[in-house]
Amino acid sequence: MFERTRQWLESRIGLKDIVDTHLRGFRIPGESNYLSTLGAVAFAGFLVQVLTGIFLLMYYVPHPDHAFSSLQVIDNRVPYGWLFRSIHVVGSNVILVVLFLHLLVVFYRGSYKRPREMTWLSGGLMFFFIFLFSVTGYLLSWNQVSYWSTTIITTIPTFLPVLGEYVSDFLRGGEFVSGATLGRFFAFHVAILPFIFIIFSVIHIFLVWRTGFAPDPRVATGMSGGAGEGFRRESYESSIPYYPDFLVKELFMAMVYLAVVFFIITFFPKLFQPALASVQADPQLTPEVIRPPWYFLAPYGMLKLIPNKFLGISLQLILFVVFLFWPFFDGREERNILKRPILRGTFVLAVILWIVLTLWGRYS
Amino acid sequence: MRVLIAGIFVFLLSATASADYRDVFEKEFIHKAWIGSAVIEEGVCVDCHTSKTMKEEYLSIPQEWKMSIHYENRVSCHNCHGGDPDDAAVSCGTPHSGFVGTPPYRRVPVLCGKCHIGIYQSYTKSGHGRALISSGKGPNCVTCHGSHRIQKANINIINKVRCSKCHTYERAKLMKQALFMTEKKIEEIEKNIRDLRAEGAMTAEVEKVLFRTQAEFRTLFHSIDVARVKSRADEFAAKLTDIEAMVDDIYSELAFRKNYSAFLFLLFACLSIGMLVLEKRYRD
Repeated sequence: MFERTRQWLESRIGLKDIVDTHLRGFRIPGESNYLSTLGAVAFAGFLVQVLTGIFLLMYYVPHPDHAFSSLQVIDNRVPYGWLFRSIHVVGSNVILVVLFLHLLVVFYRGSYKRPREMTWLSGGLMFFFIFLFSVTGYLLSWNQVSYWSTTIITTIPTFLPVLGEYVSDFLRGGEFVSGATLGRFFAFHVAILPFIFIIFSVIHIFLVWRTGFAPDPRVATGMSGGAGEGFRRESYESSIPYYPDFLVKELFMAMVYLAVVFFIITFFPKLFQPALASVQADPQLTPEVIRPPWYFLAPYGMLKLIPNKFLGISLQLILFVVFLFWPFFDGREERNILKRPILRGTFVLAVILWIVLTLWGRYS
Repeated sequence: MRVLIAGIFVFLLSATASADYRDVFEKEFIHKAWIGSAVIEEGVCVDCHTSKTMKEEYLSIPQEWKMSIHYENRVSCHNCHGGDPDDAAVSCGTPHSGFVGTPPYRRVPVLCGKCHIGIYQSYTKSGHGRALISSGKGPNCVTCHGSHRIQKANINIINKVRCSKCHTYERAKLMKQALFMTEKKIEEIEKNIRDLRAEGAMTAEVEKVLFRTQAEFRTLFHSIDVARVKSRADEFAAKLTDIEAMVDDIYSELAFRKNYSAFLFLLFACLSIGMLVLEKRYRD
């Protein structure tokens, strides 16, 4: 049956040629390891989010009176609804961990350097969109934690002069987080963001395919494709075919990703849902402690630490722009971070600072 | 670029122009439908009772109420005292608005009985109620439960200090003993329901059944008839066993979920090992 299907396809679209040219012919640096698969793992995670999200969309009601109870129905009445919801909730957090790691690996290996500046830029924007996915999705559960966290997050833009209030009102659809906020966050989460994200995914994957994987900086330390040179695909000292060698690595990591997701669902089902997440949003009842989700704790902690809020948010915006356009700021030929002590020190400091601020935000 | 800027300008202009529609949409549909059902109408009552013009003895009332089970359940001032929470003149100024300030001692059970109907009926037939009606000196609701800062009642409300104010504790002690097992079971079930709710389980149905049973039980013991409470103890035990079975069903469902996701975890762990072996073969 399988062989007949293969032959049927072969005679019509030349399947073997596609596999040979685009999969076997696509070479990956021989030294690539499991850390090189994190982008693909994140993409697999995104597909899982899409599938589970579509399922949730069938039962979820984006109205303040029904949002919380519709999720309770999904969790408790719809057959296996709890499973889809748990995968979606846990997956949305694990995918961020994977993306953080992917970002660190790409930075540490200097893979953002010429000719891959656009790959970094598109990836940075995708990272930002995943954040937006998380923020908008967080409110949809319409519980005390999500409601009040969103209140904090949507207050942040008000620190900006002139435009701040307008941006905040636009996000909330009014002065407070209300049904209008839920409506627009829902639209962003299920329609606008997926559309934008898929476009950027296509661009990102196209750029990875076109420029190829960056070799290990310890093997090839310099940048390729200097000024005035035409486009030239980088050649590697040793390489492996994408299919099947590297694809199997990616599949292994995708399986690990799913195993981690199910491990958390089994043993720590409430890891990303504190006790107040089981209480419906109540604008009359402010919880004693309000904290944004873990991935927002560092920026939130930074804002809390800086007394001048305008300075705080401006600094964050500047840092975001520097992060996004980093390949254009870092013009040095040397890709090996081990040979660049200042950059290495800054990198380590930034990671430590992020962790410290996150912990401080969590326990302060 | 110019087209883009012009487009953004037109969009902003149209958004401003449609602001009226947004207000209507927000107030009449979204905002109202949501907050309207949940809001606690404090209104003018709290305004006056926290102002400098109020007598000092009445100033603490709003704070006490906010710590009560009534506040938790969104029972507001006018629900007990009548009047209009939006208009001070109508609320406190005119008796025909239905406003009752501090009710006369003898009338307290009538005030509470507006909502706690079963308990009121049981109480009026009890020794406590009959004493109040005949002499005006028997205990009323406030004697045991207090006013404003009213907490969810439990068995400890029957104690030596409180009951000995009017009579010996012996009779009350007998009643407490008769209630003990049922109350203990109710507390256990309540704790389990709280835990299940925190787990994200849907407990509304079982909570409703428990509430009904508990209300019935409360009604019964307000008769302060020990023999009657004892005679119906088995009936309540059976009802609570049924509720426990409902709670156990939810626990079983949660256990099934845990096992199911554990199975999926093992499945993907095995698949990843399989992939690792395959990857090693290709590498070699």
